[in-house]
Amino acid sequence: MTTSATFQIILYFGVLLLITKPLGSYMARVFAGERTFFHPALGRLERGTYRVLGIDPSRNMKWTTYAVAMLAFSFASFLFSYAALRLQGVLPLNPQHFGAKQMTPDLAFNTAMSFTTNTNWQSYSPEVTVSYFSNMVALAIHNWASAAVGIAIAIAVIRGFAHKSADGIGNFWADAVRATLYVLLPIAFIGAIVFVAIGVPQNFDAYTIAHTLEGATQTIAQGPVASQEIIKQLGTNGGGFFNVNSAHPFENPSPLSNFFTLVLIWSIPAAITHTFGKMVGNPKQGWAIFGAMSALALVGILICTSAEQAGTPHLAHAGIQTQATALQAGGNLEGKETRFGNAGSALFAAVTTGAACGAVNSMHDSLTPIGGLVPLFNMLTGEVVFGGVGAGLYGMLMFAVLAVFIAGLMVGRTPEYVGKKIEKFEVQMAMLAMLVCCASVLGFTAISSVVHLPKEGFWAALNTWPGSAYGGSDSVYGPATGNLNNTGPHGFSEIFYAYASGTANNGSAFAGITANTPWYNTTLALAMMFGRFMMIVPLLAMAGALAQKKSVPASSGTFPTDTTTFATLLVGIVVIVGALTYFPGLALGPIVEHFKMLALATH
Amino acid sequence: MTDLFFIATGVACFALAIAYTYGCEKLRGRHD
Repeated sequence: MTTSATFQIILYFGVLLLITKPLGSYMARVFAGERTFFHPALGRLERGTYRVLGIDPSRNMKWTTYAVAMLAFSFASFLFSYAALRLQGVLPLNPQHFGAKQMTPDLAFNTAMSFTTNTNWQSYSPEVTVSYFSNMVALAIHNWASAAVGIAIAIAVIRGFAHKSADGIGNFWADAVRATLYVLLPIAFIGAIVFVAIGVPQNFDAYTIAHTLEGATQTIAQGPVASQEIIKQLGTNGGGFFNVNSAHPFENPSPLSNFFTLVLIWSIPAAITHTFGKMVGNPKQGWAIFGAMSALALVGILICTSAEQAGTPHLAHAGIQTQATALQAGGNLEGKETRFGNAGSALFAAVTTGAACGAVNSMHDSLTPIGGLVPLFNMLTGEVVFGGVGAGLYGMLMFAVLAVFIAGLMVGRTPEYVGKKIEKFEVQMAMLAMLVCCASVLGFTAISSVVHLPKEGFWAALNTWPGSAYGGSDSVYGPATGNLNNTGPHGFSEIFYAYASGTANNGSAFAGITANTPWYNTTLALAMMFGRFMMIVPLLAMAGALAQKKSVPASSGTFPTDTTTFATLLVGIVVIVGALTYFPGLALGPIVEHFKMLALATH
Repeated sequence: MTDLFFIATGVACFALAIAYTYGCEKLRGRHD
């Protein structure tokens, strides 16, 4: 660990700590329907939205109504995006004349599901595939909508714990509108201006053709980047305006923009822990969750940063200096931008996968085996290291229910959490949410590791078109392992990472896998759908059941859940469940690869 | 034709999620 890495980590956690209480308290007021600083400017817009859409914000929904409203909204936005992407050739704002040829049906299916589920996995190169209209309307709308849905679901789950003997868990439409207008919009408006001020472009120009000093011609892609970038990071969406995402100098021009981006990614997920504490009437409950998330985050960041700074024995064996000195950064710089170095890249990798963001500023495929294990583990444990906007909190509350259940088993008492008895149904729903995700990651990884697709058939063909970035010479792969960059454990990690990323709605890629084939586009879309909705529904069911229960006063037999002991237990449950479920997969991938690296094996 | 296949797959996904919702509610009813 270098001094600059240590300083950056301390500063980052310091800023997060400063943001958490004021933003968390503000969100608690927003979702309680109280008047805030922004109401004079946005209150009329909120009321107008309700009037136009026929929403009664005071209507308290049963959990099933809440879930069906969320699913109907997601389905409508999925269909809209699919249609807009396929029809981009006849729609406006398309100076590059992209059409349906670039956006094939399976790619449009994958992309629409990806953005609907807040995953933002991109099987395509945006610069050569999607028009400005597709970017700004078909896709960016989800950057707002899916983030607002995530926050709304978290608030509904919190109400399950906070409400007493109630039939409903709030109003989905009102929660989504309030999340958009009062949380996302003000921060995004200011943040986009900050991005422009620190060097991120915002225009509607056609791509610039530049002539280099050597006489070559270079096409410089650009567009409305700042306005896309802000909601991409704030909403933990992660879909890049450019193919190399936040490694691109127009998306992330400097260490300052990198730090600003990192703060944006974890700002709402950190703050919503305090919202939880405020809404259940005991802020210490929120700080216990914040503490558990911080501990997991810190360990992951330290492991990833140390592994990348240590470099690989191959470099040392070749006589290359891997120690950081005054003249060079040292460590493993493959796949990293020198303007961020090991510290800025490893911190970004841990943060983006702790959250459901998926933006990348370095190529994760080039991380050392242990450095790459950290992002993989973050996603496999359900992204509860602060997590996605809303998704991180409801994921962690799922683990909290399991933690009090296990603690209850140990002491022989009925488990309670924030005044609610945790009984059979709640534990069943928490387990169902967890098992669906495990089945999706492990099932799709296993099938893709062995399936052999007909070579000239539909499923194995790479989506190609004349003049594309992909070319057309190797357009048919056969087995699903045929389009990997690597064989052996690293190749397995590429498949494992893809389905972990899809199921966890992260969207980052190991980048060593060419995923733009009908097989990967379809199965990854299904993984995203299972990981999002099949997890949310049981958690809403749990919230609905809890909301109907009376609050139980704490007694001498109550296991306190606002203490360091509980936070430690929670960390233990997350790690043990993650380790037990996914250890065989991790052993076949990054762990074997680590030992091969130590033995100086090259493949 | 391929478009129809993928749209139908999307419809099936969300129909499954709605059925799953009522399946969870039915399970809760058994506990009550």
